[in-house]
Amino acid sequence: MATRFEFVLCGDNEVHLRAAGEEAIREIKRIENKLSFYQRNSVISQINARAGYEPVRIDSETFSFLENVSFLFQETDGAFDPTIAPLMKAWGFVKKSGSVPDQSAIDEALEHTGMNRVRLDKARHTVQFEKPGVMFDPGGIGKGYALDQAAMILKETGIENALIHGGTSSVIAWGKPPDELVWKIAIKHPDPSFHEQDEILKVYELNNSALSVSAVWGKAFEADGKLLGHIIDPRTGYPVDGAQLTACVAKNATLADVYSTAMLVSGTENQMIHPKIDKIFSYFILLKDGNTISHSQ
Amino acid sequence: MSKKNKNDKGGLNRKDFLKTFSLASLAPLMAGEKIQGKALKEAEAVRYTNNNTDDVVPIGIVGYGEWGRQIASTLERNPKVKIAGISDTFSIMLTRAERSYTDVKTFENYREMLEDPEIPAIIVATPTHKHREVVVDALEAGKHVYCEFPMASSIEDAKAIADAAKEAPRQIFQVGLQYRINPQHRDVFQFIRSGATGRPTYIRSQWHNKTSWRRTSATQERADELNWRLDGDVSLGLIGEIGAHNIDMASWYLNEMPSSIQGFGQVRYWRDGRDVPDNVQVVVEFPSGVHMVCVCSLTTSFDGRYDMFYGSDSTILLRDKHAWMFKEVDAPMLGWEVYARRDRFHGEVGIALVADATQLDAQDVDPFEDDPNVETPLYYSLDSFIDNNIYGPYPAMVGYQQGYNATLVAVKAKEAIQNKSIETLDEDLFALD
Repeated sequence: MATRFEFVLCGDNEVHLRAAGEEAIREIKRIENKLSFYQRNSVISQINARAGYEPVRIDSETFSFLENVSFLFQETDGAFDPTIAPLMKAWGFVKKSGSVPDQSAIDEALEHTGMNRVRLDKARHTVQFEKPGVMFDPGGIGKGYALDQAAMILKETGIENALIHGGTSSVIAWGKPPDELVWKIAIKHPDPSFHEQDEILKVYELNNSALSVSAVWGKAFEADGKLLGHIIDPRTGYPVDGAQLTACVAKNATLADVYSTAMLVSGTENQMIHPKIDKIFSYFILLKDGNTISHSQ
Repeated sequence: MSKKNKNDKGGLNRKDFLKTFSLASLAPLMAGEKIQGKALKEAEAVRYTNNNTDDVVPIGIVGYGEWGRQIASTLERNPKVKIAGISDTFSIMLTRAERSYTDVKTFENYREMLEDPEIPAIIVATPTHKHREVVVDALEAGKHVYCEFPMASSIEDAKAIADAAKEAPRQIFQVGLQYRINPQHRDVFQFIRSGATGRPTYIRSQWHNKTSWRRTSATQERADELNWRLDGDVSLGLIGEIGAHNIDMASWYLNEMPSSIQGFGQVRYWRDGRDVPDNVQVVVEFPSGVHMVCVCSLTTSFDGRYDMFYGSDSTILLRDKHAWMFKEVDAPMLGWEVYARRDRFHGEVGIALVADATQLDAQDVDPFEDDPNVETPLYYSLDSFIDNNIYGPYPAMVGYQQGYNATLVAVKAKEAIQNKSIETLDEDLFALD
């Protein structure tokens, strides 16, 4: 996942906390080995190599993961789409910093994008693509899923107060910190020029919930005076140009990751995908013009 | 499709395959493998009569801890298998199993699983010191058994397991010495056995991983049970659970068993009450005079893990899924290396060792990128056991004698570390009555 994961585990028994943390880290590594788009021996890479030609049998966990992915694709009207890799490649965002492709390359990539091009056979536990060239890149959801599994392990081992995050953009917290009543997370403005003013956009209190933040900043390049980020709308084939940042608080990090991405993709206020699931607690959007939308269920 | 599907048997279905596949044709699959112990005569090797050669092999797993779950997840990707039963003494593990596999039978007592006629084959993934009871019971119940390595934590238990396997020649007994089956290691085996390194001089293996090796649980009782690796009374420690795999690989490559082992071990960092060293170093001597240095550490991750086979003409480095050869300037030309890719390692140049590199190149497949069709060593090891269930039984690629030998070395290495001694391994020690 090329992401730094950090855990804050609170308790008195350091040996127990360390062992629990190690087990959770092993779980994250296990999931990465399975779901990584970049590791050539991951289950996802095996699917990407073969599923365009034949049904590929996969393990239960991966199958359930893909079923959930498919469900969330429907729920977000396709704004969240883990088959976006051909478009990412066309825009030069796979292992590169990005470049504007020809329209024909975008059209060709769109022909290979969409969860509706994926067949999941529950009886045989197989996955098959409509045609060669379709591929999964679960990057938009894998980090959240890994955090959820790590949190489950930590809770099973009796950790009652913890905050864990992946790359600071996805956070889960439960219980409370040693000297506070609740875990508080502040969201800074995504534009680095605002950082000197120490501008805090929003503060969330997390208790047995997860927060995910998505922004167009980070991996981006400039073309014709316009900043083009690595968040691409899978329905149009172009980088998103509506919101600057979205944040979502949800029951788990998987949902938070998916909805923060989907809201960023859906762009302007009137096109916005408003979360339909009751597990979404609240969300926040910083629009392109600087206006904000804040909502709590 | 340019890449060959690993499940593609060229149009033969399993029954056709059985008709055309004789035991004699298995010999090349065991190339270079010295089958120790009493080999089955062809007439004795009666094929397992489950009549379901077009179906999947129902497998039971005893022990659903972290490794047991890894085994289950690996088996699931194999279309020739159905996970039929899972046994564990801890109810939370069984709940996890039921959550993962909707139609699996779960058992708190493995003996109930052994009574199930619909589960012909068992994989034993319990703590090492508990293998004996499960394996012997399973063999007595007529099951085919895959036993994780080490086979046991004492020579007495290892011998009891080997004896039970020997007494059941019509049942499959395979030990989880994965390197012996992993194609990558078998390729390097061919290089070394063909004399490409010249005269073997010495071997060095390293396993570095900074981790406490401690497991935890919501209850202290369960945590104590999980931490059997840190209990010096039952655990073979780092050298038994980790290093013994590398020592076995050296024995296999050199085609000889160690004659003595000197060991050292310290608790240098994880001073949490454990008596099992977090750093171990052993020197293994082979009858040919080759020495092996094997080090394992839980106190540093620096430089990870690798194996080096030094020879008078060249050295082979095995690391992750790759291998390289470093030639001496006075080494003879081998011919093929002219076309091989070279990688720089500081001041050295390594010749990448890739099996079938020319063929892969012809198929427009970059032979130096990890192939997504390449599976893990565990997959190949389990797959070998499954194939034996379908097409066999024939002598397992890693049978009771190899398992016993490697376990005996592991126990002696632990003793050498514990006693700060040089343990001698007479040839007679490896003999099974």
